[in-house]
Amino acid sequence: MIRIVSLLLAALLGLAAPLSATAEELNLFAWSEYIPQSVLDGFTKATGIEVNYETYASNEEMLAKLMSGAASYDLIQPSEYTIEAMVKEKLLLPLDHSKLPNLKNIGKEYYGLPHDPKLAYSVPYMQGTVGIVINTEKVKDPVTGYGDFFQQKYKGRLVVLDDALEIVTWGLASQGIGPDGVNKANLEKVRPVLVKWLPLVKVYDSDSPKTALLNGDVDLGMVWSGEAAILIQEQGKKFKYVLPKEGAHMFIDSLAIPKGAKNVAAAYKFIDYVLRPDVSRKISEEFPYTNPNLEARKLLTPEERANEASYPTGHPKLQTFRDIGPMAADVDKLFTDTKAKSGG
Amino acid sequence: MRQEATRFAAATGQGRPPGRAGWLLLAPLVLWALAFVVAPAAIMLIYSFARRGTLGGVVLGFTLESYQSVVDPVYLQIVTRSIGYAGLTTAICLAAGYPVAYLIGRAELRWRNLLLMAVMVPFWTSFLIRIYAWVTILKSEGLLNSLLVQLQLIAEPLELLYTPGAVVLGLVYTFLPFMILPIYTSVEKLDGALIEAALDLGAGPLRAFSRVIVPLTSPGIAAGVLLVFVPSLGIYAVNDILGGGRVDMIGNIIENQFKGNARNWPFGAALGTTLLVSFAVIYFYVNRRQRAALLR
Repeated sequence: MIRIVSLLLAALLGLAAPLSATAEELNLFAWSEYIPQSVLDGFTKATGIEVNYETYASNEEMLAKLMSGAASYDLIQPSEYTIEAMVKEKLLLPLDHSKLPNLKNIGKEYYGLPHDPKLAYSVPYMQGTVGIVINTEKVKDPVTGYGDFFQQKYKGRLVVLDDALEIVTWGLASQGIGPDGVNKANLEKVRPVLVKWLPLVKVYDSDSPKTALLNGDVDLGMVWSGEAAILIQEQGKKFKYVLPKEGAHMFIDSLAIPKGAKNVAAAYKFIDYVLRPDVSRKISEEFPYTNPNLEARKLLTPEERANEASYPTGHPKLQTFRDIGPMAADVDKLFTDTKAKSGG
Repeated sequence: MRQEATRFAAATGQGRPPGRAGWLLLAPLVLWALAFVVAPAAIMLIYSFARRGTLGGVVLGFTLESYQSVVDPVYLQIVTRSIGYAGLTTAICLAAGYPVAYLIGRAELRWRNLLLMAVMVPFWTSFLIRIYAWVTILKSEGLLNSLLVQLQLIAEPLELLYTPGAVVLGLVYTFLPFMILPIYTSVEKLDGALIEAALDLGAGPLRAFSRVIVPLTSPGIAAGVLLVFVPSLGIYAVNDILGGGRVDMIGNIIENQFKGNARNWPFGAALGTTLLVSFAVIYFYVNRRQRAALLR
């Protein structure tokens, strides 16, 4: 009997030993549908570090959870305006570039942007734009900007992002004001524009705006470039992507280490792993946004490179968002009000 | 009658505070309620009087700013509309659910369980999947439109998805079982002799229904109305998926304060508190009327 018990104990101890050996973990808090499972598996295989991947659907949701202190994360994936706000509030750890040898793969154009000019706190993961998708079978007239998009003749045929800040900045752009011009006076200038635009919209969707276009419920969309790239990949010539001539939003989703991270070393390893050209290339395959990793871009197929939504040609006018602080509440209120009055 | 009821209550131990053993038995429930009902509600109440933090969160303090926003016409129009949608949903659920519940409750016993099962089967699938199924049915190249075009009943696909009608349809579809089940339990307990008596004493079927059946099943109706009205006022997924996000409901506004651009937690908390208080008031009102009716 004693022998059986001791055998069992030995077996249990034997089981326990390898468990404690692989206890190193990385708590990753990132956008849903943005990091392929194969990349996470590859990282665990290469480093032995287990990844706990928790997801969010908006920067604000990430902030809410992070600030509640309910859980601690080692690595997060904020967008540019959130990085700016978090740096201001000292919520991000400065990065030691000597621990990121693959950082050299990031294109020069990703330096010098206002939210983090030296990439001192964040490393670009994917870049994207917000632009116009046109179903060329249904829409024959040229659509080149916000003015062409929001026209009476397209009433009930539009899908747009359900995002107050996006829509308000489109209105600002149509008035010749950049996304850094969010203030009370300019918001009042935008109000009549939104009052005219919003009744034309059929669907508001930030999660999967491509669905309404694919289903044929709408013919035009103002959507994330990655969503547009998938439409173009799947349906070839039927869909076209155009960046509004008045100026478009360029967003930069980056990896950053929050204050209070427990496994900073693992976070560095993950960032550098993702910066590897072969790994970054895998991400582009599943989520065809603009890859800021120039070495990874070289590994793309000619079709991927030719996708106008991922890699726009010409010289589009692109601007990033800035942190607008408490004005966010005013932006939200303006959108809520004009939307509610648009008839629905 | 009232005295008898009180005596009955005393005899069964109703209204008497529980003894020590009783409290011990109650402890898990009390703890659960404290941790998951009282504490969150208290946090919400405290937050609703706080100031907005820079990145979301709150700066504790005391201000009525958030409550001023609740009565701001911008948000009041949305509250009014939400109540309208929830009211319409409740009315349709009641009109459609009552006959079904009555039929099931008066059906033969072997049919009863089968019919009840049919009402509950949809719960076996995730709510979101069922709502997305409606997208497939209602979209312009969807099942319903294809069928109607095939049958040559219509020439062009109808605009069904992303309309207020689709939202109400989705809400009714979601909450109908919550109306049927409580009414069913009332109908099941209904004493057939009382209906016969009403008919014998010269009441027509309509009068018997309105003077006997409805009052006797009123606890079920009240429970059903609360179970449908309250959640349909707060839910926002149906509205986003089937309505195309065109009509904001209170739920959307609250969500936006935490997960959207606004990052205004105190305002979200104030909206939540306002809803909670209104529900509590409605609940106690309905409950008191019920009790008064039972004791009459």
